[in-house]
Amino acid sequence: MRRKLLIPITIATIALVAAACTSDTTSSGQSGSSGAPIELTMWHGYGKVVDNQGQTNFEAKSLTDLVDEFNSTHPDIHVTLDYIGSNDHALEKLTVALQGGLQPDITYQYGTSMPQLAEAPGIMDLTDHVQESDFQWDDFVEGARAAATVNDRVMGIPALIDNLAIVYNKDLFDAAGIDPPSADWTWDDFRTAAKALTDPSKQQFGLGFPIDASEDTVWHYDAMLWEAGGDILNADNTEAAFNSDAGVTALTALTDMAVTDKSVFLDQQNVGKIDTLFNNGKIAMDITGPWALSGYPDVNYGVQIMPEFPGGSHATIAGPDMWVLFDNGGGKGEAAWEFMKWFTAAEQVKADSLEAGHLPIRNSVVDESGFVDEFDKKFPGSGVFAENLANVTKARPVLATYDQISTIMGEAIVKAMLGQAEPKQALDDAASQVNDVLQGA
Amino acid sequence: MATVASSRPGAPSFARRALRSDHLAGWLFVLPSVFLVALFSIFPIIWGFVLSLQKASLISPNRPFVGFDNYTRIASDPRAVKAATNAVIYTSLFVPTSIILALFLAIALNQRIRLIRFYRLAVFIPVAVSTIATGIMFLWVFDANFGIANWALGGVGLGPFGWFDSPTGAMPSLVIMTVWGWLGFDTIIYLAALQGIPQELVEAAAVDGASRWSTFRNVTLPLLGPATLLLVVWSTISAVQLFDEVYFVTKGGPLGATSVPVFYIYRLAFTSLYGFGAAGYAAAIAYVLFIVILILTLIQFWLGNRVVHYSS
Repeated sequence: MRRKLLIPITIATIALVAAACTSDTTSSGQSGSSGAPIELTMWHGYGKVVDNQGQTNFEAKSLTDLVDEFNSTHPDIHVTLDYIGSNDHALEKLTVALQGGLQPDITYQYGTSMPQLAEAPGIMDLTDHVQESDFQWDDFVEGARAAATVNDRVMGIPALIDNLAIVYNKDLFDAAGIDPPSADWTWDDFRTAAKALTDPSKQQFGLGFPIDASEDTVWHYDAMLWEAGGDILNADNTEAAFNSDAGVTALTALTDMAVTDKSVFLDQQNVGKIDTLFNNGKIAMDITGPWALSGYPDVNYGVQIMPEFPGGSHATIAGPDMWVLFDNGGGKGEAAWEFMKWFTAAEQVKADSLEAGHLPIRNSVVDESGFVDEFDKKFPGSGVFAENLANVTKARPVLATYDQISTIMGEAIVKAMLGQAEPKQALDDAASQVNDVLQGA
Repeated sequence: MATVASSRPGAPSFARRALRSDHLAGWLFVLPSVFLVALFSIFPIIWGFVLSLQKASLISPNRPFVGFDNYTRIASDPRAVKAATNAVIYTSLFVPTSIILALFLAIALNQRIRLIRFYRLAVFIPVAVSTIATGIMFLWVFDANFGIANWALGGVGLGPFGWFDSPTGAMPSLVIMTVWGWLGFDTIIYLAALQGIPQELVEAAAVDGASRWSTFRNVTLPLLGPATLLLVVWSTISAVQLFDEVYFVTKGGPLGATSVPVFYIYRLAFTSLYGFGAAGYAAAIAYVLFIVILILTLIQFWLGNRVVHYSS
């Protein structure tokens, strides 16, 4: 409860205010004056280079190495990294910082936050910048460019792109005598396998699925919706479309497994249980992204693209994240752009992919001969994810109300997966709520 | 002193008098505290009220005034009604459970037995454990498939229960977790109150032939009145403001079963899960919550003055 936290919070606040006041005066003294480099602050959520277990965190190391390289080759700009905790809370942190005018110069944000961030004071409109001939904006993955673009204005630079695929435990498939997932799997094949891999006596589940009704729940469903040939909203984003037959097919596939077969470990809190259980051989299949692979050191895993529905596709969903720039005056805005241009150039993107295991955000890097093999060798399974980017054909709507739509859809999905509503009914109810939101009610 | 000075002929100016007066020294002494209170309490209270009259997101500087629209919206918002209902359910389970259990524990810990300090420490330790640690522990203890709670209850033929995963079980599970975490605090308050009861009164009752139960009922319990009032008021205020455990463990789920007002306010103001530009609406709910807590507290003190006869 609150009281327990009150004293530490008060102390921390006072300390922060004091720190903020002091750093403010120094930074304003530095910028503008010639000689001293322009100081930039860059928020990220990759963690510490050496984590609490003493393990090297290669995502953080890769970022730090690149920033160090930039700082040493660009004496007029100095970028300071600031780890601000999980990216899940990056928007909240930025919201609070904006209240005090203490926003960083560069910050990592989820792509779905872009329409809201577009209204933030001081955010840099990069529409003209990205057209600079040496930047090659068209080289960025299409879905990521779409997510960065709000009302035809480019408000961020793609930082990372993920996609969903099946990660499965090869040993559990062998033990059950089932063929591992193939590239032409249907959701019926998936359901049969999940059921066969479920063993209550061993507390083993075929699939793990997050049902915290967050965007994590929803984007898993979105991929299936697209595989069934449906879409979230209609073409001009004025009406819900997920309660179509395709939407019902997709949700029914989930309820068949969760409610009828009970072959799904339903994670209500979604704070890491699925990863832990998968790594302990209690879950046979996880629909997840490349970031999860490093959490499965104890499992002999394989990766396969998403199943399809009859007449549908093997579509997947991409979660593009963004670097957002703020112009905090004194030439900092242009300096931030100079850094970003260097940081997201093909050479740096490739270096980061091979060190951190991130899927390349630029197509030219994926297409480079030999890259996928080298990448997959270094990060087993990641090659499938890199090639799976080709299955990213649709993006979530870029709307300021998207999070609200996602919440409504998430609650419908969870309701159905807990067996409290029929898929059709749950989706119809959600669609009418979403339509209210879209009409500004 | 000030009056004496001003009655003299050729009295010093107002500024001089003010400088010499005791008031100035007093204000100077409390100035740092006044400044902090103003900065962290009074300013946010005023700013929050202004915000509650606006349609505002904390990101966009565009914040039109909408009068009291944010307040009138609350009653017709199903999520707000759900959060309020959950707060009532939680408070009415948490407050009596924690206070009654604390009373029993305090009496048990007030005995002269071996290792009493160890037992007292054991009861208090959960209070010192961070909420997040408590949360992680209970997430696994109450895991529907792998948790020790279902394993133990299964051993005596009960369950399995869904605990945090079940829309009906999540709230009771939350009550169990928070009672476990906060029992030590209530127990310490009761223990202190018990030790403050003069032994003569208990002995006098025994001399008069009162049974142990009768002594407890007629001597001890009334003397614990002030402590009970404190705990009821304090627990109610904290229960209505429940946040950390919900934020970390249940995230308001499943299906809003544990969504409570402060958690809803937080999500409205700092996330866009319930719409972009809801910070003003969040501030309005916060104001209503403040008034509800104020009224609850006043009622409790009024009732307390009628029921609590002794003060220590």
